[in-house]
Amino acid sequence: MHRSELAKYFKDNLFVANLKARSKESAIAELLDLFVTEKYIRNRDIVLEMLHQRETLGSTGIGKGVAIPHGRTTAASEVLIAFGKTENGIDFDAIDDKPVHLFFMVIAPPNDEGNVYLPILGSLVTILNEKSNRDKLLKVTTFTDFMALIKGE
Amino acid sequence: MVKKDLELLVSLQDIDLMAEEVGEMEKLGFSVSGYSELKKAREELAASISKPLLFRYERLRAKLKRAIVPVKNDICLGCFLRQPTSIGVKGREDEEIFTCENCGRMLYWLD
Repeated sequence: MHRSELAKYFKDNLFVANLKARSKESAIAELLDLFVTEKYIRNRDIVLEMLHQRETLGSTGIGKGVAIPHGRTTAASEVLIAFGKTENGIDFDAIDDKPVHLFFMVIAPPNDEGNVYLPILGSLVTILNEKSNRDKLLKVTTFTDFMALIKGE
Repeated sequence: MVKKDLELLVSLQDIDLMAEEVGEMEKLGFSVSGYSELKKAREELAASISKPLLFRYERLRAKLKRAIVPVKNDICLGCFLRQPTSIGVKGREDEEIFTCENCGRMLYWLD
């Protein structure tokens, strides 16, 4: 998926430059609450349960300070991505056991138009595999700067 | 009671959706080492759902892939047919499990 296409799935009300969370559980909850507050999701408990089950399958902490909690849920109608970061880093049971600073939460419906869910995850992984992108993301403070980075501008 | 049943089914389907894409997740580099634990969680959840309802879910899933679909703005997101307003009022109250008159999937109201 092209980066300009990926950018369409972010929203400024799903962007947090300084997460308050200090644990894995609270980081997942804080990001999920963005979707709930903005009424993208009606039933918080169902989606939280899905995200916990996803962590049962394996930590979505993919290493190098990055986590991409994700999942399809019947309680969502569109694909959206929330972004959050924290300077301190959070123990997320990541595959390299390193604390996580960058979080991308991807929520998708059971069927998504154009089947974009997996390409979105793939595109995020590709972007985040590059150290320069991770370094820039750590310094981002505004949604505008964040979007420029996602688009590769 | 019905609300609880529907929510349990939604959670069950969410796990099934996850299990369907385990291979793709692994290819993307995500850990899926807990697959057997996920299957166990699925079994436990399934055991808490009434057998007739679970049977109905499994049968729909075998036939239509997605047994339950979201409804938004009165549109079934399985087949995109508009649902009658009268069904929507009751459906939102979760008093009964409704199915789409067109595609037959169970409906879960999002708004």
